[in-house]
Amino acid sequence: MAIGSVGIATATRSTSLRSRVSELLDRESWLGPIFVSPAMVLILLLVAYPFCMALYFSVSNAFIGRPSTFIGIRNFINLWDSDAFRQTFQNAFVFCGIAVGAKVVLGISLALLLNQQLWFKRLIRGAVLLPWVIPTALSTLGWSWMFNSLYSVVNWTLLAIGLIDPPGPNWLGQKYYAMAAVIIVNIWRGLPFFAITLLAGLVAIPKELYEAAEADGAGPVARFWHVTLPLLKGVLGIVVLFSTIFTFSEFNIIYVLTHGGPINSTHLFATLARQVGLETGRIGEGAAISLYLFPALMIVVWAQLRYVRKQAY
Amino acid sequence: MSSLTRRHFLTTTTGAGLAGILAAGVPPARGQQREISYLCWNNFAPLSDKKLAEIGQRFTKDTGIKIKIDHIAAPQQAAKYAAEVQTQAGHDLVEMRMHVPWLYEAQLVDVSDIVANLEKSYGKVIAPGYEAAHVKGVWRAVPQYHSIFVSAYREDLFKKASLAAPKTWEDLYKVGLELKKMGHPVGIPISQNFDTISTGSAVMWCHGAMEVDKDGKTVKINSEQTAQVVEWYKKMYRDCMEPEVLSWDDASNNQSLQQGKAGWIHNPVSAYIVARDQKLPSADGINHHLSLSGPGGRHDVTAPRSIGIWKFSKNVEPSKEWIRYLLGKKEVYDEYIMSGGAFLLPLYTKLQDHAVLKTDPKLATLKGEGTTYHTYGWPAPASDKVQLITNSFILPNMLAKAVTGTSTKDSIAWAENEMKKVMAGS
Repeated sequence: MAIGSVGIATATRSTSLRSRVSELLDRESWLGPIFVSPAMVLILLLVAYPFCMALYFSVSNAFIGRPSTFIGIRNFINLWDSDAFRQTFQNAFVFCGIAVGAKVVLGISLALLLNQQLWFKRLIRGAVLLPWVIPTALSTLGWSWMFNSLYSVVNWTLLAIGLIDPPGPNWLGQKYYAMAAVIIVNIWRGLPFFAITLLAGLVAIPKELYEAAEADGAGPVARFWHVTLPLLKGVLGIVVLFSTIFTFSEFNIIYVLTHGGPINSTHLFATLARQVGLETGRIGEGAAISLYLFPALMIVVWAQLRYVRKQAY
Repeated sequence: MSSLTRRHFLTTTTGAGLAGILAAGVPPARGQQREISYLCWNNFAPLSDKKLAEIGQRFTKDTGIKIKIDHIAAPQQAAKYAAEVQTQAGHDLVEMRMHVPWLYEAQLVDVSDIVANLEKSYGKVIAPGYEAAHVKGVWRAVPQYHSIFVSAYREDLFKKASLAAPKTWEDLYKVGLELKKMGHPVGIPISQNFDTISTGSAVMWCHGAMEVDKDGKTVKINSEQTAQVVEWYKKMYRDCMEPEVLSWDDASNNQSLQQGKAGWIHNPVSAYIVARDQKLPSADGINHHLSLSGPGGRHDVTAPRSIGIWKFSKNVEPSKEWIRYLLGKKEVYDEYIMSGGAFLLPLYTKLQDHAVLKTDPKLATLKGEGTTYHTYGWPAPASDKVQLITNSFILPNMLAKAVTGTSTKDSIAWAENEMKKVMAGS
């Protein structure tokens, strides 16, 4: 008898608990934060915490393994005395400007090509994605062999077809060639992102618009300028903004190909920050280098989000 | 009497067990299996890495301590040390090149007891090992081996062109002119790597130039002697080498000699021993001669390596056990040294005439009679600042600037300014 009462009471308690939980889960004000919280925890741990640490380091004289003190924005000011930093600042804009510009032009061209009726279309579209899919460090290692001063297959090919005279350019040892080499690899790596995203934009353009333009006598060039490009503008804007951020913060390609050399001529913020912050131990200065463009990139992100909202509504 | 249910048993025992572990702060016996991790570089004598793995397995069998040996490329070591120190996590033991023990003095366990025992068996540690690891009266790392820089050259080509092996850096210029005409240029790297610092330091010392004075404080790179060095590099780059040296890493000069391109390089014997072990066609033609001299005499460079234990390691004793096993057991240490084919040379007095030097007549140069070996930064005493100047690659960048168009005066002034910044740092 007593056992039966306890059993009933327990059953009643668990039923009411279950109904209370399901009641809570029905409320959007509870359910939303519950679903978002794992992502928030991850962001706090993996993004916010390192970011705050970097912010703290950048305003301190932190040196690896030693106690540090707050020094305000002295790191940011002192960086301008370093010719390696000034060179890096210039490199970042040259690298980003040329690479993103080339990716826009080539990306649109490739997307237009992939939008045609081609044999093995799916296979080709898949193959185009390969540079984007292969781990960057691995593919760049391949490029480093292709540009290697002893074994350069690029030079070997150019020599074989008579385009250059021996010994050929020293791709990674001379500053302009080295910059050209890292830009080429960045374009090769980033082109699929442009092409495939723009292809998605192209596919979404209604065919009727082309038919109407054609009926009005518009040729292929006119159709591109007056139909394709205006309707692709939204996607293109987003892709360019993303790519600008990725390209400014490029690390792998530079690190594997040139280590920032020769004489700092290919250093970008990320590679110089690593060299100063970790290899020479001046972690405060390193953090300041990596955060130098943060305000500018924040503006880019703000512009990006504003643009997305404008497109959405 | 209430019966014990399975659920009740599991709840009670798990709870009690966890409470016990938390209270004691010690994991259960199963979790206490002793295991250590050791970070080394990818040795330029690859067979020594294989041997190290083999010795590691025997160590585990003999002592019951598991050892995990990780290898990374030399250029990545500095950043890896920094990351481990900053996070206070990582490997238990680390292999350190040159003056790194000075840089991380406060983070390294005192290993004077181990070195004292090694010195009892093998004699005193020789100067380069002492300079690198004996920090302010305490051994912060155990001297392991060093790699001497010599002249590695294509003897067959020299004979063919009736060229005599150079004795001075100036001789090398004359020989280099001929070698370049023959399509086999001199291969001295001028880029951000350690070989550039090694050769650059030797050339500097031989001309009486220095980076920092004997007092360890005054930057002395801006001198007439350094200007002579820079001018020498300029003409070598222009007349005897190819621009590829600006993109080289530490392995590139080895590869250039091994693949039959370079006619002369300044390097430890690794280029030859790899060519020999891999039976490359160039191996027969390669030989060595002493490093070169200059107006300031002959000063050779060597790169000592030592093994340190991080203070944050929870396995200090097992880590010491590994060092004693690898370096303290004569037969094991010999075996390890032999595997490196004279790229690895012992750092202890009584082992200087090691059997490894007799394994190949082409290694005779390494006996180095009458040679004074220095570590980077000489004549300044070893210090963390010297290591920071190394890590900042100031000397390579000064030379690279000069050979690519910056005036000698401006290149040196730049280096002086950079070195002063390092010396003034906290």
